[in-house]
Amino acid sequence: MPAGRSGRRDAGRRVLITGVSTRLGTQLARRLEADPYFSHVAGVDTRPPRATLGRLEFIEADIRQPSVMSRLAGTRFDALVHNNILRQPWPGMSPGAAHDTNVIGSLQLLAACERIEDLETIVVRGSAGIYGSEPAAPQFFTEEMARLYPLRTRFQRDVGEIEDYFATFSHRHPSVTCTMLRYQPAVGPALDTQVTRYLGQAVVPTFLGYDPRLQFVHESDAVEALVAAVKHPVAGAVNVAGPGTIGLTRAIRLARKRTLPIPAPLFGTTTGAGRRLGVRPLSPDFQRLLQYGRAVDITRLTEEVGYRPRYSTVEAVRDYVDRGSTVQPPPRPARPRPRPAARA
Amino acid sequence: MSASEPPPNPAVGFLRGLRRALDRGVDLPEAFASGVAALPRDARHAVRRAAGRLEGDYNEDEWGFDEEFTETLFPLLEFMYDRWWRVQSNGVENVPGHGGALLVANHAGVLPWDATMMSVALMREHPLPRYPRFLVLDWAWQLPWSSVVMRKAGGVAASPYNAMRLLDQDHLVAVFPEGAKGTGKAYRDRYRLQRFGRGGFVEMALRTGAPIVPVAVVGSEEIYPKIGEARTLARLTGAPYFPITPTFPLLGPLGAVPLPSKWRIEFCPPIDTSRYGADAAGDRTLLLEISEQVRDTIQQKLYENLVQRGSAFV
Repeated sequence: MPAGRSGRRDAGRRVLITGVSTRLGTQLARRLEADPYFSHVAGVDTRPPRATLGRLEFIEADIRQPSVMSRLAGTRFDALVHNNILRQPWPGMSPGAAHDTNVIGSLQLLAACERIEDLETIVVRGSAGIYGSEPAAPQFFTEEMARLYPLRTRFQRDVGEIEDYFATFSHRHPSVTCTMLRYQPAVGPALDTQVTRYLGQAVVPTFLGYDPRLQFVHESDAVEALVAAVKHPVAGAVNVAGPGTIGLTRAIRLARKRTLPIPAPLFGTTTGAGRRLGVRPLSPDFQRLLQYGRAVDITRLTEEVGYRPRYSTVEAVRDYVDRGSTVQPPPRPARPRPRPAARA
Repeated sequence: MSASEPPPNPAVGFLRGLRRALDRGVDLPEAFASGVAALPRDARHAVRRAAGRLEGDYNEDEWGFDEEFTETLFPLLEFMYDRWWRVQSNGVENVPGHGGALLVANHAGVLPWDATMMSVALMREHPLPRYPRFLVLDWAWQLPWSSVVMRKAGGVAASPYNAMRLLDQDHLVAVFPEGAKGTGKAYRDRYRLQRFGRGGFVEMALRTGAPIVPVAVVGSEEIYPKIGEARTLARLTGAPYFPITPTFPLLGPLGAVPLPSKWRIEFCPPIDTSRYGADAAGDRTLLLEISEQVRDTIQQKLYENLVQRGSAFV
């Protein structure tokens, strides 16, 4: 294609979103649809989005399957937003299946990217989990510190692999700018994440004697950071988080919840016991986060991508608490729903 | 609520109000608020603040420093400063009133008493008081409670990234370059400065252009006279070393009570590093030179103050 690829275009961009049916993916699609800068918005997922969307072109495909390549071959997109990295397996999903989605999915997707014409920008919604949670770590990780500590959990190793694939891809294709956004956990009324579920419990288990510094990003900033990165792509990794930090204890108190302090050696087994009661266990990454915390430096985001999050970490927590969760419990097709009107 | 006869004393009034509110099924923080009306003004304020904290109404900066929490520690620290150790501090005015600066001091013992006394000296005697932040050895951050108290009182993990970010934000940063060798000093080696690592603290100062203020603390090295150590216990607890003093572990937790030695803290004139420029941070010779200069200053001031102090305990 003799594409006139001279600098960035100011409008008429064609963007493809993976994981479009996740809550954040749908919010992103809605945001892009409303923006005249994007002339065409398409989304890939295994099932259609729950919400009704306007001009989105939905492509039903599983990024783990080689078939995704044939679905995308010959399509013309100049930007790809990869939003299909699972922080935690879905209920009933094995850790192996989550690994498949994350690692094999990214591989297949990159293979498909080789066949997409005109691709200029790839933005990945990655994770700051790659830095880990370490007791005596630098209190603000900058982008160069990804491999300061060994990758301890399965999710961390997955993120490490994903980052490597995208780095290799951008080496092979110098015309494609690949931005790896490293997200801190997102919170917000419309999200159903590990953090919102954790803070939504009636009694919140904590590590006895620990009060880690945490950092969150508000859901609207999470979406806007993706948009900003598509518009002003920066090669390499960029941290995404709300400015400032919050102590876990303070976050729980703001959420007006009671804590259940558990001695560290018993934490895993005690919280894991909830599995029988239908409570989703906390992922190993999240457990380490609850013990040692983590914060990142967002200078690159504000100065190079040019996006300043509107909600600080504390404001993000307050907004989530004040507006309350609007997340409906997911419909269970296997069982008939008991009295859907009961939830007022 | 009928205003019954005035309660015999404020505390009883407070408890009555609290119980009435709890009987009405009010949340604990709100129940506090309704009990508070019966207390005198000072106590009322204190209880309101405590209740506010229970609702998450307090501030921690991005490092997790909690000024209100630190203030509540101050009465104890001031008691230690005035009565227990009778601290005499000199040269506080040598500490810059604004901008980043690196306080470099000698150190002994696991507990950061010397850091807290420097903090009290600066808060009480400096014309422009501010809380210094201090770098704390890695080991303390793995422990429950200690990690929380350290962080809330202004401690950060001993990483150069932390120090440089703090200096860039114009904070006072206290470092103890003797590191683990200093904490494990034997009693007979007191006031003999150990090697100053690899001069990392000079590198931080050069990169950020912050001045270095050498600080000599006399008295802190007698509070826990270490006469031996238990290797096995250290390995079991993961501690860098496990000290044996005349009172510890013999008296159990009481052994943590420091001896009432007499203290002198001297803040020396600052060493300007900005004239070398940030590029000089790669110059090993310069690093070691400045590091040695700082070490010599502190060592000399230690000897001077030891002489001026006279007897260690009375």
